[in-house]
Amino acid sequence: MTTVSLTDVASYLPGEPVPAEFYTDFPGAEDKLRNHPMFRVPPLRHHVARDETNADMVERAVQPLIDRHGGEEIRGVDVLLVHSQLPDLPFVGAGTEVARRLGLNPEWLIDVANAGCASFVYMLKLARQILTSTDAKTALICNAQSAAGQWFTQSEVRKLAQAAIPGDGCGVGYVTTSAHSPVLDVETRHIGAYAGDMTVAVDDGRKYWEPGDSQLRIGFTDASVAKVLARGNRLVPEVVTELCRRIGVASTDIDALITNQPNRTFLRNWREALQLPAERHLHTFDAYGNLFGAAIPVTLDSAVSSRQVKDGDLLVLGGFAHAGDFAGAVAVRWHGGRD
Amino acid sequence: MSEESSRLADVPGLVRIENAGKEELTAHCMELTHAVYPHDQVYGQYCTIHEYVDCPPEQAYDYLRRGHHLEEWTCSLRDFAPTGTPGLWVGHDRLEDDTRIYCKVVANPEAMTVDFHCSWDQGEHLWMIYLMRVVPAQLVLDKPGSVITWTNCRHPYYDDNPHPGLAPRPDRPWVGDYWDLFYAGHTVEMRNLKAILEHRHHNGLEVGSAPARAVAQ
Repeated sequence: MTTVSLTDVASYLPGEPVPAEFYTDFPGAEDKLRNHPMFRVPPLRHHVARDETNADMVERAVQPLIDRHGGEEIRGVDVLLVHSQLPDLPFVGAGTEVARRLGLNPEWLIDVANAGCASFVYMLKLARQILTSTDAKTALICNAQSAAGQWFTQSEVRKLAQAAIPGDGCGVGYVTTSAHSPVLDVETRHIGAYAGDMTVAVDDGRKYWEPGDSQLRIGFTDASVAKVLARGNRLVPEVVTELCRRIGVASTDIDALITNQPNRTFLRNWREALQLPAERHLHTFDAYGNLFGAAIPVTLDSAVSSRQVKDGDLLVLGGFAHAGDFAGAVAVRWHGGRD
Repeated sequence: MSEESSRLADVPGLVRIENAGKEELTAHCMELTHAVYPHDQVYGQYCTIHEYVDCPPEQAYDYLRRGHHLEEWTCSLRDFAPTGTPGLWVGHDRLEDDTRIYCKVVANPEAMTVDFHCSWDQGEHLWMIYLMRVVPAQLVLDKPGSVITWTNCRHPYYDDNPHPGLAPRPDRPWVGDYWDLFYAGHTVEMRNLKAILEHRHHNGLEVGSAPARAVAQ
């Protein structure tokens, strides 16, 4: 079987860092939950500008890949996979616009709209499958997260404790048929039983596109936040443990674990469950907040740049999506360092 | 403010819906919820286990409260005989050679609690107490049968034998040395208990058995 490598990652954070006070000092801000780790506000996060789209962010995130690997090589990718939250258009993803901006002509172009906060893992799996079963040689996988500066800054939503947690950003991965920085294995699960538990909440019950004054926010159906916590606690350690079993290592052999970062409680619980010290579970929560799907590639880029992920490390990327409808983990023997 | 609530106001550290609010209470509980817990955190000071047994609760309770059945379902308690003290029995704990265990059963039929007050080597102070309870499964699991719970608390004597001189020999290991294995050991015994009760109940057999030594109860 062809070996596929996660050859490089890059990222982009929009604008200047936004301090916690943007939320905590806002008139009418909820403050009763601020002291709880589940809702403790990250000191900083980034917000997309009002006129900044997912395609804009992807274009900027890909630039370092062009600088390092050459424009021709990046323009020649056979596969383009894009996951964006919030979509800029309700009827089509950002993929074709990204292709237009970057001058790509991929044979395979998929706007991935599932797998949420763990979609980087799923896109890596998709890319690997396409690269091993067709004559495609290279792929670009992109995660753009633009909900924080758009949804969570609305006048009513901004007061909620949950609003101060998300942050915007974009992370991209360059995947190639090579054995240089090989993907060792991937474990993914689609869990239909938990589908639909994360919803768009509006107080007046209108469709999101119908005119009205109510402000859109993320809500949960019957699955209470407590249920989602219980699922998340279980799912991420489960998929990482199964992945480790398949590649024949103990979870304690992981040199660097990078997960999605919904809050500090999940980060603590996952590293405890996998028996990893904090310094081997890398995150960027304090600087960027909950980056949703972009968390994994953005944190990986940051960790490679700061040499927290080193040449030869066993790297595991894992996470779960929405209210638990997807969980996945991927193992890479990392040699994608910056020479 | 009522007298009751003002008395509560003096108590530091209370978390109640009146002062925390629903969301804060939920967040607080989430923070206390981990994905995994170290063995010592769960079983370090108290060891509670529980099991569902497909046997009517009255029969399970009656079996449990009759002390001579310990010789059937425990791993190592054998050869119980009466002492001169009414209700106090002495047997061997074959976990260690030449080790005597004293035992008194304190049962409450209304609550279906069965407590075994025990100790090694001497019968004057029964400090090693096994707290067991049979709960009708119909009430708690909506199905026939029993739920049996079993708790031990880490009495200081587990860590420090108060009468080392009573040991049959100086190098005899102490019961408290096994504390970290209590979860496992008691689980094995609970499974024995379940197996015996279910086998006899499912096959229409008498659940209890006669004591090896006839004794005036």
